[in-house]
Amino acid sequence: MWTVLRDLLRHNRQFAVGVVLLAVVIGFAALSLVSPYPPNDSFVVPPDVPPSLAYPMGTTSRGQDVFWLLTFSIRNTLLFGITVAVLSRLLALTIGLVAGYSGGLIDRALMSLNDTFIVIPLFPILVLFYFVMRDHMSWGLLALMMACLGWAYDARLIRSMAMSLRQREFTDTAIFSGMSMRQILIGEHLPYVLPIVFSTTMNNINWSIGLEVTLSVLGFTDINTPTIGVLIYWANQHTAMVAGIWWWILFPVLLVVITFVGLFLLAVSMNEHIDPRSRLGRIT
Amino acid sequence: MSTALAPAPAQAQPHAVLTVSGLRAYYRTSLFGINREVRAVDDISLEVAANEIYGIAGESSSGKSTLIRTIAAATKPPLEVISGSVQFSFGDRDVNILRARPRELDAMRWRNLSYIMQGSMNVLNPVRRVQQTFVDFAFRHLGQTMPEFLRLVRDHLARLHLEPDVLEAFPHQLSGGMRQRVTIALATICRPEFIIADEPTTALDVVVQKGVLAMIHAVQRELGSSIIFVTHDMAVHANLTDRLGIMYAGRLVEEGRTFDIFGAPRHPYTAHLIASLPRLGDTAPKPALPGTPPNLAEPPAGCRFHPRCPLAHARCRREVPEMEWVAPGHRVACFAATPERAA
Repeated sequence: MWTVLRDLLRHNRQFAVGVVLLAVVIGFAALSLVSPYPPNDSFVVPPDVPPSLAYPMGTTSRGQDVFWLLTFSIRNTLLFGITVAVLSRLLALTIGLVAGYSGGLIDRALMSLNDTFIVIPLFPILVLFYFVMRDHMSWGLLALMMACLGWAYDARLIRSMAMSLRQREFTDTAIFSGMSMRQILIGEHLPYVLPIVFSTTMNNINWSIGLEVTLSVLGFTDINTPTIGVLIYWANQHTAMVAGIWWWILFPVLLVVITFVGLFLLAVSMNEHIDPRSRLGRIT
Repeated sequence: MSTALAPAPAQAQPHAVLTVSGLRAYYRTSLFGINREVRAVDDISLEVAANEIYGIAGESSSGKSTLIRTIAAATKPPLEVISGSVQFSFGDRDVNILRARPRELDAMRWRNLSYIMQGSMNVLNPVRRVQQTFVDFAFRHLGQTMPEFLRLVRDHLARLHLEPDVLEAFPHQLSGGMRQRVTIALATICRPEFIIADEPTTALDVVVQKGVLAMIHAVQRELGSSIIFVTHDMAVHANLTDRLGIMYAGRLVEEGRTFDIFGAPRHPYTAHLIASLPRLGDTAPKPALPGTPPNLAEPPAGCRFHPRCPLAHARCRREVPEMEWVAPGHRVACFAATPERAA
């Protein structure tokens, strides 16, 4: 495991860059643990100070230090993305593998459900969800909601792979040897679809962070939990761009872009590693 | 540890491990109101004794694979078993596999009855190491601890001249012949009484094939199992099998000891199959049998071989010949081969 990571770092530039970028982001998020100010306190520092040695990323019009506020924001945003990705992966894997393996009526029932979720317009639903929940809206609820909306494409992808695996001789042999459906799905089919799932997980984290930022910027989330989007939302509320407080917008955007690029590079390079066939191609 | 295997049971009184009687299995499809029935296995009866390699030969689409898939009760729609029984007797148990409950089937499969699938190059999951495949397929059936099991697997691989290293490999890192041997090891690891092999050597070149066949033979002698061995390659049958059944268009047309069949084929189709084998010093061109195998959805009336048969006469077009004994242990379904009965 560690030698694999070391080799990847040494020989795969995409992986190395991705790891460095993500390490920067995660390290930054970890700084939130030693923040001198709680995230929601305002006017703890002088407002509207441009970036300087004392305040490396400046301060907001609400008297918050952008640097420390950003550490909380990126931490929440990352956690959000990971939660959505993990939950939706569970759904996508279960439904995709079961549908592809079972076929017939089960497949048809699951896939009509799946298609329903594919054609649902995401954004209006999420906005509507905000208006229904209003004050009860929270970070966790939104993550759950987005996980429920974000599994459908991948479930279809996984199902298509599972259908082809179902026809392979090793599946026939596995059935013949008396393995149950659960054992076959977990033992034989899951390892086969994992590389693609890993890659789509990274994409899903990107997607959910992007959507969360969009919703937050428009104010359709819990605006009292600092995330990247909420940070930009408050900057907009204080007309930061008009007032020339550019650092309030620039640094959150920069950080989220770094996160996107890091996750993407990691997805691409890890995918190459997990697939044993392309790994062999690299050895020879 | 060197596993001293029990000596193969003596061939004193060969009892039938497998008894197939009157088996019919049809592919039934219904699409847009059109029903088709493909009679891939039609009224087949045969017996396989203990410690015997039974070969099934015939050209492509003669129903060989369907027959053994039915024997293994590994049928899935649209293949349906219409009638007949497939009786296995393992030790003290007699099981009609077509009526067995799923629990019984699971207990029996791999332990008593294993199956080397067609295209067995693909039996190994490409993303699982060979060792994991062994654990997945066979571990449950043996009831041993993991170290014991792995030692057993290594010993067994050694028997097939495979290094223990292959356990750590992914299938794509092995050559075709090694993969084939791994598959055979996988099918024989539980020392089953009965092995069904569906063209396990088809994709291999003749040199590797020879080695693999010798290995199958050695393992079979050592374990004392019975094998049903399916291939269209008559040369393989001549070298490996004890008894041979010739299939044509879903029916068994001749059955007997391999030696007898190659020495004196009774059925004109068998005669053609054997005449097609090249011999040293023989430079005469081999004539192809005219015509094509019949469409099994609408098989010809009477004997299914009559449109291509050089000996066909009026009766062959009307009546279906039954399997008749022509010599001890030698049956054939042909009016021309059994003239005294046909008259």
